[in-house]
Amino acid sequence: MIGYLDLLLRLTIWFLLTADLSLANIIIGVAVALLLPRRYTAPAVLKDGLRVLGEIIVAIPQAYFEAFEIILRPHNEEDIVMERVKPQRTPGLIFLDIFLITFTPKTIVLKYHEHGWYEVHRVLRRKNK
Amino acid sequence: MNWILLATIAALLIPIYEAWQDENIWQTMLAFSSIASKTSIMILIVSVLRDDWTLGVVGVIILSVGNAALMLLAHIIRRTNEL
Amino acid sequence: MIDTLSYLCIGVGIFFWFWGTLPLVGDRSVLFKLHSLSVADTLGSMSIVVGLLLKIPREWPLLVLALISLAIWNTVLGYVLAYCSSGGGD
Repeated sequence: MIGYLDLLLRLTIWFLLTADLSLANIIIGVAVALLLPRRYTAPAVLKDGLRVLGEIIVAIPQAYFEAFEIILRPHNEEDIVMERVKPQRTPGLIFLDIFLITFTPKTIVLKYHEHGWYEVHRVLRRKNK
Repeated sequence: MNWILLATIAALLIPIYEAWQDENIWQTMLAFSSIASKTSIMILIVSVLRDDWTLGVVGVIILSVGNAALMLLAHIIRRTNEL
Repeated sequence: MIDTLSYLCIGVGIFFWFWGTLPLVGDRSVLFKLHSLSVADTLGSMSIVVGLLLKIPREWPLLVLALISLAIWNTVLGYVLAYCSSGGGD
């Protein structure tokens, strides 16, 4: 039960890499995915998994939008802000948050503080200042 | 298709030049990370160009192993800076 | 039609590469360069791979894997570089 999202991820990578859906290959893939060691952290919930997928799908067009924004109107100012972590995040979700913030070109997470803060570096247009 | 390859080679020259001329270690690391991802994309482009998928598999493996070495190196440099 | 679209994607990707890589030579802070590099190396490369994917849909599993690992590794490397270059520690 624990970490079946993890298992799913491994199987996805395996099938994408081998691109082969024969029975033997499926057996090898499942065996390897089960045999690889894994960490026993808090089990991820399926609902979380779906939300994660949704957030990633939203993040990609947003990243391209921000890219065009900083290309068309140069952002020359930089500053650092602190952002609060949303409550009750499992380590997986915190990793996802850091990933999403860093993925969009305008913001990069500098540091994650243990007490629930991200240190985020952003670029800004001069006008905003 | 050839113009694509020429353009990528031209783009690759920029980080190489930067890695050569900048003394600051972090700027050099940035240039290296840029070189790493650009060359692996170039491998993919060449494999499409020649329609040779053994080459493509190599490119994909390089991409999926990722820049782990660069990450380790970054941590080592940070630690030596602290000393 | 598909062909034009794929050239468009590759063209956008190469434009991103040049736009994002040129600031590397300038005299800005590491973090500022990191922002433009994430445009170039993550988004630009992703769009080039999508262009290649449209050209050769036959090899989609490999190229999709390339796309996923590109996005994850480049972003994580950006975070690690930002963390380490800003002093790190606690």
